[in-house]
Amino acid sequence: MRLTLDILQVLILILGAPLVRAIVARLKARLQRRRGSSVWRPYAELFKLLCKEELVPPTSSAVFRVAPMVLFGATVCAAGFVPVVHASALLGSRGDFFLFVYVLALGRFFLSLGGLDGGSAFGGMGASREALISSLAEAPFLLGLVAIAVLAARADIAGMVAWTLGQNVFNISAVHILALTSLAMVTLAETGRMPVDNPTTHLELTMIHEGMVLEYSGPSLALIEWASAIKLHTLLALLIALFFPWGMASSGAAWGIAVALLLYCAKVAVLMILLSVIESAVAKLRMYLVPDFLGVASALSALAVIFTMWMKR
Amino acid sequence: MGLVGIATEKILSSFSVFLFLTILLLAVARRISTSVLLFGLQSAIIAAEVFATAFQEKLPEVYIVGALVFLIKVVGIPRAFFLLVKRLKTVRDVKASTTPTQSVFIAAAIIYLSYAAVHSYGGAVHVPDDPLAAAVSLILTGAFLMVSRKKALMQMLGLLVLENGIFLAALITTFGMPLVIEIGIFFDILMGLLLMGIFTFRISDTFEHLDVSKLRRLRG
Amino acid sequence: MLIGPTGAPFVLLLVVLGVAVPLILIASRAQSARRLAITLILAASFAGCVVAVFGFLGRSAPRLDLSWATPFPFSLALDRLSAFFLLLVCAVGIPVTIFAGPYFDLHYSERRRNWTWGFFSLFLLSMIVVVTAATGFAFLVGWELMTLVSSGLILIEGDSAERRHNVFIYLLMMHVGAAAVAACFFLFLPYSHSLDFGAIRGSGAGIPAGIRAAIFLAAFVGFGAKAGIIPLHLWLPRAHPIAPTPVSALMSGVMLKTAVYGLVRFAFDFLGGGPPWWGYVVLLAGAVSGLLGVLYAIAEHDLKRLLAYHSVENIGIIYLGLGTSLLFLAYNAPLLAALALIAALLHTLNHALFKSLLFLGAGAISSATGTVDLEELGGLQSRMPVTGTSFLVACCSIVGLPLFNGFISEWLTFRSFLAGSVLTNTKAQVVLPLMVGVLALIGGLAAACFVKAFGVAFLGRPRSAESEHAVEVAVPMRSGMVLLAAACLLIGVSPGLILRPLASLVQGLIPGVGVPEETLNIARIMPWIAATVLGTVALVGAFKRRKRIARTWACGLPGLSSRMQYTSTVFSKPIRFVFARVYRPDRKIEQLPADQPYFPVSISYRSVRTTSYERALYRPFVEVIVSLAYRLRRLQTGNIQVYLLYIFLALVSLLTFLRFQR
Repeated sequence: MRLTLDILQVLILILGAPLVRAIVARLKARLQRRRGSSVWRPYAELFKLLCKEELVPPTSSAVFRVAPMVLFGATVCAAGFVPVVHASALLGSRGDFFLFVYVLALGRFFLSLGGLDGGSAFGGMGASREALISSLAEAPFLLGLVAIAVLAARADIAGMVAWTLGQNVFNISAVHILALTSLAMVTLAETGRMPVDNPTTHLELTMIHEGMVLEYSGPSLALIEWASAIKLHTLLALLIALFFPWGMASSGAAWGIAVALLLYCAKVAVLMILLSVIESAVAKLRMYLVPDFLGVASALSALAVIFTMWMKR
Repeated sequence: MGLVGIATEKILSSFSVFLFLTILLLAVARRISTSVLLFGLQSAIIAAEVFATAFQEKLPEVYIVGALVFLIKVVGIPRAFFLLVKRLKTVRDVKASTTPTQSVFIAAAIIYLSYAAVHSYGGAVHVPDDPLAAAVSLILTGAFLMVSRKKALMQMLGLLVLENGIFLAALITTFGMPLVIEIGIFFDILMGLLLMGIFTFRISDTFEHLDVSKLRRLRG
Repeated sequence: MLIGPTGAPFVLLLVVLGVAVPLILIASRAQSARRLAITLILAASFAGCVVAVFGFLGRSAPRLDLSWATPFPFSLALDRLSAFFLLLVCAVGIPVTIFAGPYFDLHYSERRRNWTWGFFSLFLLSMIVVVTAATGFAFLVGWELMTLVSSGLILIEGDSAERRHNVFIYLLMMHVGAAAVAACFFLFLPYSHSLDFGAIRGSGAGIPAGIRAAIFLAAFVGFGAKAGIIPLHLWLPRAHPIAPTPVSALMSGVMLKTAVYGLVRFAFDFLGGGPPWWGYVVLLAGAVSGLLGVLYAIAEHDLKRLLAYHSVENIGIIYLGLGTSLLFLAYNAPLLAALALIAALLHTLNHALFKSLLFLGAGAISSATGTVDLEELGGLQSRMPVTGTSFLVACCSIVGLPLFNGFISEWLTFRSFLAGSVLTNTKAQVVLPLMVGVLALIGGLAAACFVKAFGVAFLGRPRSAESEHAVEVAVPMRSGMVLLAAACLLIGVSPGLILRPLASLVQGLIPGVGVPEETLNIARIMPWIAATVLGTVALVGAFKRRKRIARTWACGLPGLSSRMQYTSTVFSKPIRFVFARVYRPDRKIEQLPADQPYFPVSISYRSVRTTSYERALYRPFVEVIVSLAYRLRRLQTGNIQVYLLYIFLALVSLLTFLRFQR
């Protein structure tokens, strides 16, 4: 029963990911007084790309073809760590958050290599910028999670969620506020959303994530797009699970699961609205200001860790 | 105890968290209007704290102090600042001499320092650690803002944040000073602000800018 | 004299490496003699591995006493820690020897080849002596021999003024380090009355705190100079790139680890831990070395210098683990100390494996293309697939990605930092979790650096004619690399194999602990992660897709040239810009002709980085010593009467001393 629930969670994260991206895009369109495209369009796009043939540059090597597969595999594996409807996950009971962060790093490493393999200047540009951002984003990511882990005295994500479930929702904890702010900033940086990177840009000189995938087409492009959607969905689910998990099912009863699922959808909806508002309201940061952005996130998460010493809350 | 009672208790036990947030955000703020808004937010939190203290300690005159804080610091002073900014037609940038990363690390160090300092003698004064640490952090942050921001308006704001910290410290340790002294302090602040407003106009008129680092004639 | 069933192979190993091989190589210059020598070295290393495995698993502990032949007590013994490091030496020695066969044939003339192989065998022997030494004399002999033999190997490779200067710096710093190590041993002498390791261990408890602190500091400086801790690492980026590649692999992969062995032996075995400041010192050294090492590495475009700086970084990570362990010991948390020590020791082994593999890859590149400058390489993956794939495995391991061995030790280090939060009422409660951020930053920057190194060297288009015509290297070179890559993958996917024996090894060093459960956790979950990732990849890859070769869009230009790609310098520019305070380059832009600014004939740009510690620390230090030396020179006036006066003064002071002693 637990196993089926865990697998269901992973499937929700994987299959619901394009929908999350589409809804955010539609909300942004509405904010900009446009109609926006249908929320089911990414599924049609994925299907279309999977059926197409793939174009491969003549100077590329096996790494070019393997990179999207490794990225997808790593992101799917990371999705297995996060609890959605109940405080346990497929790999999240034994696997801790260090594994989670580094499995995502595995995917990112291969994506950067794939960008360099195309042999064009834009791939190198995207990979170089991505290298800067990801190297600076790992420290606040891990430190924010460490702060929560120190409070929970557990390191596995499912255990941290279970601990949070046992806390009183009205007790405001400085550690959690600081960690949430820091992790939210890191999520924006890791998933390539504004203000760090513009996911809808078509100017190559402003691309970071898009620049690395310029040479990909067909099924490889489908895998990469799907993987980045899964990453966004997984990180949003992680934020919800660590900071607002109340409502998760505690037993395996069917109606408990249904209620938990509905609550999860509501929470994700709130996050999606917030994300679209932020993306529409702020301008993209100049690239050399992004280290400042991530530096603020690092300071906040370091302060969160320091606070765990005084406020065991 | 009632809803008001519960709310009061929650406010009293956790308001310092939000004050720390405003301190960190002040450290990274890039525009004068953002800093002023944050100052207004800070004063609102302190006003809430005053009201909560008044409710818990059942001291009616503290309500008047709270009302004064709200009127002057949350409504009056920010409005005066916005008026000044508009009239002076100055560039909106805060002109910080430290990058945002350095500023926020310094703010984090200030918070750590205040906690470390308060921890050692907080027990003797029978006062919870967090609000006193918040007060000391506000004082140090005000001083830091005055040192690192080069706009004259930001010097004023730094002084106001410093005063916020002193006020909070007095509030926590003595549950409000006598009403007369509070009113006196408020009038002092108002006079100071009036004078500073006049002088900024004069500085801007004479030198065509408000960059304090370029005003170097104060030498022997 | 000999104990256990593995005693005989152990003696055989030493005899072969130390006596037989050099004699064969001196006796004859024939190809067959060389082949015999290589086979003997391989057989000896294999025997060494067997001996080491038996010792590591605790089944036997041979002991060899040669004091009857030497003026000072000289004996070798194999306890579990020594066995672990012997395994490291021999296990890395086998693939490197296999690789070195064709490599030396390609790069050296006949006569030099014999000398090189002779010294190579002696190098392996010296490292084995160091890690199995059971008396101070044996340790110091092996220590000095390592330095001398490796300098010899560097000088055999070539001779030039710059090379001699670099070797001079290497010898100088190693000598200072050896002096400090000797001081460590001699400080024990008044309490242990002999330099035998057993006696030293027994006397450790009775030494006063001040002397213990002095021993620890001397060990830290002495072994730190050999390990390459900043600021004592000046010799590393000078010596490692100029050595022949198999020797660089051994130096970086194995020789640095003997320094770690020394520090572990002294701090944990002999002294049994100490006050918290020991842990903080090691932790600080580790953090600084890790960060600065990786930052300097990112700015390099010479592949071997890049790898040398990465050795500094990884030694920093090992020291982070060691420092954490010392802290936990000081605060009475032996189980957590065991966890941190396991992390440090495992990273030692992992680094030996993947760093040697990286250097062998660099050697393969230099054999195929004649250069290791990243700006001249490119597109090698399709031309040298086996080399490329093994190099990729090594890159993933050094970055610390899951499914590879580097991740396991970094994960264990992270977990020991996290566990530091239980030490309430100490500074460590907050310092150790904050170290997670430091290690995360180091790991992130290392990832950026190796995307650059692998991407620029192996992917994209070739940037020079040599890379375009590169062909795959000989089979022995390939098999050496594949062996190491397989070892990296094996440990990465099923770490339990090595973690269980390591846990029992640490139980011997830190008495009275059980097995930390984190080691069991990672051993259990890693195969599942591997299954998930690889399973998904296989599932996705099973769908056959139509593929068409189509040229990269060049924005309407007739085609992309290799010069339009990102180079290594440009790739690291954003990171170098953000961390500009660390680099402080001297930049010079020259425009010719100078009097016609708008019609230049040529513009040249030069950027020279002297690392800041060199400016701030070494030069003033060297200047002070030189000025002191000049002043001392005044004593040597050349006048014979002054020298007679000195003798007279010495006599007078001796007599006064005798008079006042009563």
